[in-house]
Order: sequence, then structure tokens, then C-alpha cells
Amino acid sequence: MKTTSLWRPIVIILFLLFMIIPLIATFMFSISIRWDRTLWPEGFTLDWWKAVTSRPLFLFTLKNSFTISIATMICLLLLVTPTTYWMRLKVPKAKPIVELITSFSFGVPGVILALSLIRFYAKLPWLPVINHPAILVAACMVLSLPFMYRPLINALDAIDFKVLTEAAQSLGAGGLTILTRVIVPNIMPGIINGCLLVFSTVFSEFTLTNLLLGTRMKTFPIYLVEYTRQDGRQASALAVISFLVAWITSLLIIWVTSKGGKETTHIVGR
Amino acid sequence: MNNHKATGIRRTNPTNGWTVWLGIVPFILFGLAFEFLPLLTIIRSSVTDGGAFTLEFFKQALDPIFLRAFRNSINLSATTAILGVVFGTLVAYAIITTKNKFLKNVMIALSDVTTNFGGAPLAFAFIVILGSTGIITLLLAEIGIKLYPDFRIYSISGLGIAYLYFQVPLMILLIIPSLLGLRKEWREAAMNLGATSTQYWLRVALPILFPSLLSSFLLLFANSFGAYATAWTLTGSDVDLITIRIAALIRGEVQLKPQLADALAIYSLIIMTSCVIGYLWLSSRSRRVRA
Repeated sequence: MKTTSLWRPIVIILFLLFMIIPLIATFMFSISIRWDRTLWPEGFTLDWWKAVTSRPLFLFTLKNSFTISIATMICLLLLVTPTTYWMRLKVPKAKPIVELITSFSFGVPGVILALSLIRFYAKLPWLPVINHPAILVAACMVLSLPFMYRPLINALDAIDFKVLTEAAQSLGAGGLTILTRVIVPNIMPGIINGCLLVFSTVFSEFTLTNLLLGTRMKTFPIYLVEYTRQDGRQASALAVISFLVAWITSLLIIWVTSKGGKETTHIVGR
Repeated sequence: MNNHKATGIRRTNPTNGWTVWLGIVPFILFGLAFEFLPLLTIIRSSVTDGGAFTLEFFKQALDPIFLRAFRNSINLSATTAILGVVFGTLVAYAIITTKNKFLKNVMIALSDVTTNFGGAPLAFAFIVILGSTGIITLLLAEIGIKLYPDFRIYSISGLGIAYLYFQVPLMILLIIPSLLGLRKEWREAAMNLGATSTQYWLRVALPILFPSLLSSFLLLFANSFGAYATAWTLTGSDVDLITIRIAALIRGEVQLKPQLADALAIYSLIIMTSCVIGYLWLSSRSRRVRA
């Protein structure tokens, strides 16, 4: 009996150490005066944090990342919510097509998505989207489509949208009113969940931004990568901020999902 | 099984005919404009040179220097996928059999969060702990284990360790439903028939889990094969992976015919999509078995 009960704590502790040490170490590194010669930091300081947050580029890149994330989120909401509802209500046959489009980014990695977008839009000179933030938003939409679609359709399946629609219709409501005043409030947990997932995916996006826009639009992850090559301690402060954003959105997602039923959605693929 | 019934019996608004499809046209247009037409462009361009059909670029893409990148990518993906499957299953089993409910929830939440980590911050965190003056490196040196110069975090094996940071949690999330599907009675029945714990695992549990393990392996493989940001931050162009090669061609760091990048992309795509299709097929099968 003893041998069977001993392996479990060992496995769990090793796993927790592996997952937590990189995070704690990065944080400690960012507040250490020096930590590359001794086992314990040679004193603590907030200088690196002050230096890194006082640069204009810091707020600028944060703002850029927020803008791209929010723009992607809004565009996806406007595109996916009506489509999913309409498909569920009127064209169930379209499901395979819709799901093929939503799952595209599972099979096509970011590098190849960027390559194909550049090749295609280079052939359409009358549509100058290459090197424009619009193409990045479109690419981020492709990347995070499944994260908006999944929670939305789960939330939609959890309510009796047909009865709701018919009831609203019999009261004389039009299509748009039904969607915005009846359906959307009822699937709010799914919408919030989807928005948060999209936000955290796009906020940490590096590949598409780097390949589609190069240095034309500096987002937070791009800024971080540039810094890792210049100043380790200031870069570690930026890394801690990225971890914090990821943790906060993820914990919000867990909180929202635990309130609105038991369905879980997790991100697959990078 | 339920799906068949639902779609077979209920027919919604048969009066509308084909016009109802108009409602999803914007979505289909989006898919065409940003997914399928661009993809078609690189497929077509990879087999054309000066207007004529050619397989020349697919031949060139198998040049030894690119083959090495493919081999590195496949090795890295296979290794991190296998280690991810083994460690992930082990931790998942520890999680579901633990009696402490709080610990259980914390571990699942931790996996949920960390499987989404990647890219620059993750790469940087591993430089902090396993770089040449990293904390773990110093700690190990203190007890007499010299990591450097034989090991480097900026190498392919270092990259593998960083990848495990998101591969293991992903495996945990993928395999927990299947582990929960193992019934207690099966274990009891095996024990009653005189099986040891090892025999139960080898002869009963693992064969039942096999389709889920295989499908998870494929997804982990694809997850690592397509990764780019972590590798780029950690190693720059030092590690020769296929995604790094394609990205270098996109940025124009290497001057070669654009069709070559397209052909490399198509080869990678074939590997990726076969993994994802295999995953979908196997996981839909194992779901049916469980239901």
C-alpha cells in the first residue's frame, strides 16, 4: 500500500515545480540586482521595472496589442454570432462548411498562414492590405476563430433558441431585434468566454505579427523579443507582464465557465 | 449517435429553400478571402514556373539542407509528443486519483492556463532558469553537475524542454476524459481474476486507452511541428526547423525563388493536416466507444 501512495505526491510535486519554477524565477530575476553568479540574488531592486515601464515604447506597444486584440474580438463577434445562430436555426446542413472554416488554424500553422496571405494579396495590387494592420487583424481572426465559435455554439446549444425565436417572432420582433435583444443576452457567458479566449490568443500573438508586418507595427510580444536580445533583466519584467495578462484572462475564463455550466474550452495549437 | 437522430427527424423551415444559405455567405466569403484562396495560391504557385506546370520546386524542397530541417522538426515534434504523452498521462492519472479536491482543481486550472503559454515569454523564462548563467544551471553546478557546454538551452534539446512546458498540460487536458472512462469495475474484475496492478495496466487499461493516447500523440505532434515563436525567440535562426526556414524565406533573408517556400509549406501542410485528420478520426472513434 505504501508504494502505491508514494508515487502520487512525487509526480504532483515534480509537475508543480516544473510548471511554477520558470514563472517564479522570471519574476525574481526581474527584481534582482544581479542573479547570474550566485545561488541567491545579490539584492533586490525595482530599477528594471522602472526603466522598462518609463519608456514610451512600453505603453505604445501595450496599446498596439490591445488595439489589435480588441479589433479582432469585435470583428469576430460581428461575424461569428449571426452566422452561428443562423446556421443553427435555418441551415444545419452548413455545419461542416462552417466548421471547416473555423478549424482551419488547427491544421495550418501561423507561418504558412502568413505566407499564403502575403502571396495572395501581393497579386491584388488594387487592394493594398499587405503591411497594413488590417491584414493582421484578418489573420488573427483566422487564428482565433475556433476560440470564438466553440463557446458560442456550446452556449447556443444549451438554450432553447428555437422556442425563444418563435416566441419573439410571435410578439412581432424582427430578425436583428431577436438576435441582439433575445439570443445574445441568453448566450452571454459563451460570448464573454469566447472574447476572453480570443483576447489572450491575440494579445500574445507573435508569429503572424512578425511575418505580416515586420517592424511596421510593434506589438508587445515583438517588443519583448527585441528586448531579450538587449537587456535580460528588463526583458524579464516584460515577460512577467505577459504571464500576468495570460494568467488573468485564463482565470477569468475559468471563472466564467464555472459559473455558466460545465463546458470547458481549451486552446489547442499555437 | 445522437446527432443522427436530431438532424434526421427535425427539419427546420422547409419553405425557405436555398435562400437561407444567403445568411452564411459573409462567413463563407471570409473563409475564401483569408483561408482557402490564399492557400490555393501557394498550392498553384508551388507547381508553376513561368506559366508552365512543374514539380521542380517539390524536388528542390527535398534538397539535403531542407531535408535536415524537416528531420529536425519531425524529431523535435515526435520527442516532445512522446514525452508529453508519457508525463501528461502520468500526471493526469495522479490528478484524477487524488482525493484532495482543491489540489485537483488547482492542477486542472494550472494545465488550462499553461497549455496556452508559449512564444517569447516562455522562451525567456527558460533562458532565466537554464541559460548558461541560469538558476538551475548554477544550482546543478553547485552539486557538481556541469550542464554547459554539453547542453545549451539555445539548442534543439533545450527547445524540447521548453516545448514540454505546453505539451504536458495539453496532454493532461486531452487524456483526463479517457482516464475517467476507465471503470473501477474493470480493475476490480481484473484483480479478482488474479491480475497484478502491472498486468491490469498492460493488458486492460493501456489497450483501452490506446486510441486516445495515439490521437493525443498526433495532436501534440502537430502542436509542436507548427510552433515558431518559441523557437525563434530562444534560438533565432540557430536551430534548423522547417518553420524557421519558411519564415526566413518570407522575410527575404534568404534569396531563393518564392515557389520554393511554397513547396516547403505544402510539404509541412501535408504532415500537419494528416496529424490533425488522424487526431479527429481517432478521437471521434474513441468517443463513440465511450458513449
